[in-house]
Amino acid sequence: MTASAALADGPLPDASAWAADDPAARMRRWTEAYAPRPGLADELVDAEGALRGGWPRFLERLARLDDREVAARFLSAERHIRDAGISYRVYGDGREHPWPLGSLPLVIDAADWAELSAGIVQRAGLMERIVGDIYGAGRLVAEGFLPAGVVAGHPEFLRPVHGIAPPGGRWLPIYAADVGRGPDGRWQVLADRTQAPSGLGYALENRMVLARAFPDLFADLHVERLPGFFQAFRAGLAASCERSDPRICLLTSGPYSSTYVEQAALARYLGFLLVEGDDLVVRDGLLHVRTIAGLKRTDAVWRRIDADYLDPMELRSDSRLGVPGILQVLRRGGAVVGNMPGSGVLESAALSPYLPAIARRLTGEELRLTGPRTWWCGDPDGLNHALSNLDHLTLRPAATPLRGPERDAMLAGPALDAARAHAVAALRERPFDWVAQETAPLSTMPAWQDGRLVARPFVMRVFAAATPEGWRVLPSAFCRVAEREGADPSEMRAGIRSADVWVLSDTPVDTPTLVHTSAPRIRRIAGHLPSRAADNLFWFGRYLERAEAVIRLVQAHLGVFTEAVAADASGEAGAPTALAIRALLKEWGSVSAADLGPAALAGEALSGKTVHGSALSHGLEARRIAASLRERLPAESWRALADLRDTLVYAEGWAPTEAQLFGKAERALGHLAALSGLIHENMGHAAGWRFADMGRRIERAINTCSFALRFCGEEASAEDLGVMLSLADSQIAYGARYLVGVSRDAVCDMAVLDPNNPRSVAYQIQAITAHLDALPALAADGLPEAHRRRALALAVTLQTSEAADFDAEALERFESDLEGLANGIASRYFPNGPDALRPEKLTGLA
Amino acid sequence: MIYTLRHLTTYRYARTVRFARCNLRLRPRDGEGQRVLESALHVAPEPTRRLERRDFFGLDTLTLTLDEPHREFTVEAVSRVAVERPAPPPPEAGPSWETVRAAALALPSLGPDGPAHFQFPSQRVPLDPAVTEYARTSFPPGRSAYGGAVELMHRIRDDFRFDAKATTVSTPPAEAFALRAGVCQDFAHVMIAGLRGLGLPAAYVSGYLRTRPPPGRPRLRGADASHAWVALWCGLEMGEGGWIGLDPTNDCVVRDNHIVVARGRDYADVAPIDGIVASAGSQKLTVEVDVIPEDEAA
Repeated sequence: MTASAALADGPLPDASAWAADDPAARMRRWTEAYAPRPGLADELVDAEGALRGGWPRFLERLARLDDREVAARFLSAERHIRDAGISYRVYGDGREHPWPLGSLPLVIDAADWAELSAGIVQRAGLMERIVGDIYGAGRLVAEGFLPAGVVAGHPEFLRPVHGIAPPGGRWLPIYAADVGRGPDGRWQVLADRTQAPSGLGYALENRMVLARAFPDLFADLHVERLPGFFQAFRAGLAASCERSDPRICLLTSGPYSSTYVEQAALARYLGFLLVEGDDLVVRDGLLHVRTIAGLKRTDAVWRRIDADYLDPMELRSDSRLGVPGILQVLRRGGAVVGNMPGSGVLESAALSPYLPAIARRLTGEELRLTGPRTWWCGDPDGLNHALSNLDHLTLRPAATPLRGPERDAMLAGPALDAARAHAVAALRERPFDWVAQETAPLSTMPAWQDGRLVARPFVMRVFAAATPEGWRVLPSAFCRVAEREGADPSEMRAGIRSADVWVLSDTPVDTPTLVHTSAPRIRRIAGHLPSRAADNLFWFGRYLERAEAVIRLVQAHLGVFTEAVAADASGEAGAPTALAIRALLKEWGSVSAADLGPAALAGEALSGKTVHGSALSHGLEARRIAASLRERLPAESWRALADLRDTLVYAEGWAPTEAQLFGKAERALGHLAALSGLIHENMGHAAGWRFADMGRRIERAINTCSFALRFCGEEASAEDLGVMLSLADSQIAYGARYLVGVSRDAVCDMAVLDPNNPRSVAYQIQAITAHLDALPALAADGLPEAHRRRALALAVTLQTSEAADFDAEALERFESDLEGLANGIASRYFPNGPDALRPEKLTGLA
Repeated sequence: MIYTLRHLTTYRYARTVRFARCNLRLRPRDGEGQRVLESALHVAPEPTRRLERRDFFGLDTLTLTLDEPHREFTVEAVSRVAVERPAPPPPEAGPSWETVRAAALALPSLGPDGPAHFQFPSQRVPLDPAVTEYARTSFPPGRSAYGGAVELMHRIRDDFRFDAKATTVSTPPAEAFALRAGVCQDFAHVMIAGLRGLGLPAAYVSGYLRTRPPPGRPRLRGADASHAWVALWCGLEMGEGGWIGLDPTNDCVVRDNHIVVARGRDYADVAPIDGIVASAGSQKLTVEVDVIPEDEAA
């Protein structure tokens, strides 16, 4: 979805509500109470105390909304983030945190932005040339512009990459810099991001959310749009590939990566395949992705895993995230990888003192954007300077970036004498591990707190993409703001929020158009489905269906029990049908014991957190898998999954009545139906949808067989058969078809053999065979593959059988044949099927 | 001295391996006092693909891809190498360790023998304060780098116990240091960690050592082993391009009894064989090494 599409959503607030208040007074109230720290640059007010750049326009426009309305808009933005499941993880912490979008955007006017962009473009070009020299001719070191130790001492100087010419000609398809303002008010670079910069996806999400919450401001203020940048980035990557219609993958470390959600969002937005290392295979010197149609060549990889994990053959041999042999592919020019492995060496803090001279040497230009003054202590002069100016310098490791709390401590500087004494000792021992830096506190921007504007430190990550027409800068940024003064916002963690960045154009901006001037080749599918995605979609479907089966059993049990009580005042909970349901729930692991009271039993089967087979556990498992499918599922499904969870979860100690539990089950079934509807109506009916649907169908077929074995045997009671009909959701259809009471064979025919009943086993098999027919075959020999023959055999059995043939033995056999079919599908299509071979390390001191 | 070297490695797998890719680093290094006269490699099963490459540190690496299903993989490397190195420098020769530390860093070179690569922590040799403290004892201010390193080598030999059961191929140096035990790889890693902790350029060398059969007994086939030691860069004017080999396992300065295969930052750079196999089962590794000096050829 583009920002412009977001504009169309949601009604505009009633304009008459704004006039009731006084906008001018409101704006005065906001700005007069605003007090940035003296001596620090601030975004809202400049050194003279005047409002900077675009802020007057923005605040005037914002002040037309009264305080309540502003708060309501911020709330709606937060709600959207929760519903869409936008989240991140903190390094070293497994939990997902909802994305903390700060309230106000950072507003920058066109002139200010143009100056910053020009600096970014120059710096990006310089970085590209430096990294090319480091891994190539090595002139900068030989001529003394760059000390060997700065390069050799950085863990991202990857020696196996030395001598490789980057396929496509680029080291850095994407470059980013963290910037802020120095005390003099000029922009400065706090850090270069060249390895695998994150934040583009979050910048995009921030924009969508904020543009939706403030559509009126957004349109009136001529905010620069983002899609053009992303198109250019994609085009740049595509242009560096050999083939004209390249397959591009985004290589992730997986759902536990701290920025997985943004990676999935970017893959979806840019039309890249989201893959993990296992999905890629090197064959014949080229890179391939495992798909359900076999290995398919991959032209380019946008790398979001750290380079030293990229290739266990040449880099870290213990890496499980990488692609064995990919460096050799690069050496042969067989695939484009962006950013090239080894680019991270440019992130060294020790590079900065040498940049101005390198810029003059390589480009003949002065460096437009510099960082805080820095000295590398491996240089004897740098060491002397550091030792004699320790009081106003910060010591930082040259090679390893500091993480959040460490950074706070470092920035605190002189306050930590013990830490400094330690640092000085280390400095004398191995001076080349350190840089000394003149560090001022970060510049500030306004944040909205309880109806007031407060000045808070921020860092802004600006992105530049290499395109055939040169560097192109994203006209926005990934901005992070600290909630309190003195905290360092460089890394997302508790107490840090993010903010959209609005670059205000002086003239109306072009609304990005979806109509391309050049006609693309028409296609109806987005390319071959990766095996891993097929696997996940299949299991997503299975877990949803499992949840549904448990819920239907719970409902059946509640129904039977209520009727039994009505029929027999002694409270005959031990009626055979109820016992059979309890036994099945126990067998499925949905309850811890089969002899719980009716309400406790239903409560545990629905909402149990400690039983693996409760409806809640299955729902959560589906959600976990969905997290790996973010780029493939309809966006609304995330919300439906959250609703399902919220419906099933209840607080410790709550003792619901049976009626309440019945209602809970009913609502949960409603959310599951909504999910089915979304999958069916909102997913393209291509291979991905087929796997999700097959998962659901095979699970339903297996469960229906299980039900029939227990409630539709030769000895089944009327009560059993009633339960069977309700589990197959077929009571009404049965009533319409048969005027007499329940008959075993009639029920069996309806639940197992009737191809027109969407709940029958036969219907599921029919759907599965149709899916398998539509999926690609591996060999073009015209023979059906093994798993398809299995499915066909099952379909024929059902078509040629009568209800009387389906006794217990036949049902049992059929259920195990279905399991066999599921395994057959897994072996054929999935990377982790039962026949898969996991790569093991070849070990041993030889 | 001319040696014939034979290094036979066999992997036996419990389950069939359908695909394997591996790096072989088995060809002895040419230059710096040694010359490779012959070198051959026999591999079974026959690889589908083989690719030869010289790595960053100048080591010949052969990358093999095996597509054929197999239960056993053997690699036999046979070579003849002539070794003739100068006598070790006199004790306490060469510049002070502080001078060496600064000189190494000041060289404007990122070439494979440039000492700057070897002054920093590496994948298998992180710096460890305890090991650095241990090494510091041998490096009072102003002492010759070479002299200090020789003393450190003596101390490791005295303080550590050779025990093949105490460590494995992946034991970190800090752990071997705490145990004061291990094998040649551990001693080399510990010594390197100590030297680098002080900022000195120290490299890991893999190769072979001449052994002498007990008097009157014939040499037993396959009874030798691959070996590892340390090279310290002692200043350009010393040794071969500045590098002097020190063997903490045997407490000696490297001369004609050591045959160098590779020099890297640590074991990970020079592992004779590594790679991946696609297999669900376990593997069993056996290694046979023969180091036969030609004057002994029977």
